[in-house]
Amino acid sequence: MSKISNIVDFLEAGMKAESLRQQAITNNVANMQTPGYRRIDVNFEQLLVKAMDSRGAAELDKITPQIYQPQQTPVGANGNDVNLEGEVGEMVKNTLRHKAYVRLLNKKYLQMEAAINVR
Amino acid sequence: MEVNNSFGPIDIAISGMQAQNKSMGVISSNVANAQSTDNGQGQPYRRLEAIFKADDDDMGGVTLEEIAADMSELPRILRPGHPDADEQGYVTMPNVDLPVEMVNLTMATRAYQANVAVLKRYQRMVETTLELLR
Repeated sequence: MSKISNIVDFLEAGMKAESLRQQAITNNVANMQTPGYRRIDVNFEQLLVKAMDSRGAAELDKITPQIYQPQQTPVGANGNDVNLEGEVGEMVKNTLRHKAYVRLLNKKYLQMEAAINVR
Repeated sequence: MEVNNSFGPIDIAISGMQAQNKSMGVISSNVANAQSTDNGQGQPYRRLEAIFKADDDDMGGVTLEEIAADMSELPRILRPGHPDADEQGYVTMPNVDLPVEMVNLTMATRAYQANVAVLKRYQRMVETTLELLR
């Protein structure tokens, strides 16, 4: 039940969420023609906002990404609510988030390396 | 739709692509039914038009408001042998004008491409910002 406030832990949680979301998008696209299929999405950012306290720390087990089915999306003729444009948009956003996380992590490691190599 | 985050332009471009996709569906229905003298209720097919609406907040993208029927006059052509012909031998045809549909199709295609261009450009912009983290 230890709280995390370390940026590496946050980035790890974010990258896990974003990798899970990529799987959800792949699953949605694969089931684009499946009758009755409802698209799935990953809830992470909302959990993070709720779990963070005033000092910016959060409990790790409270920010585990969750898969959920959005219920408000318009359903097509065959009971399927997957929309290719929507999934492509989610994928673009996810990719950009991934890049941001990876670069931040890289920056953090470079910082550590600089600290280690100080003479 | 929430657009208060940094990915707002992506959501807006996607809403434009979705809207133009629906518009293309409407156009293909019109073209396919250009000769349909019976819409299932004994009436000729009326051409449909996709009506778009800006999302109520100031920068929220676009949504399909409704698919409305074109209530303009239906042309009548002389075709006495047709089962749907009236006593004088005239058949009421759908009010679909194929050249108009082709123009609309081109416009929908270009609008779709424009939205994709916006999406791509914004993606590149964010990537440029992320270069600062290198």
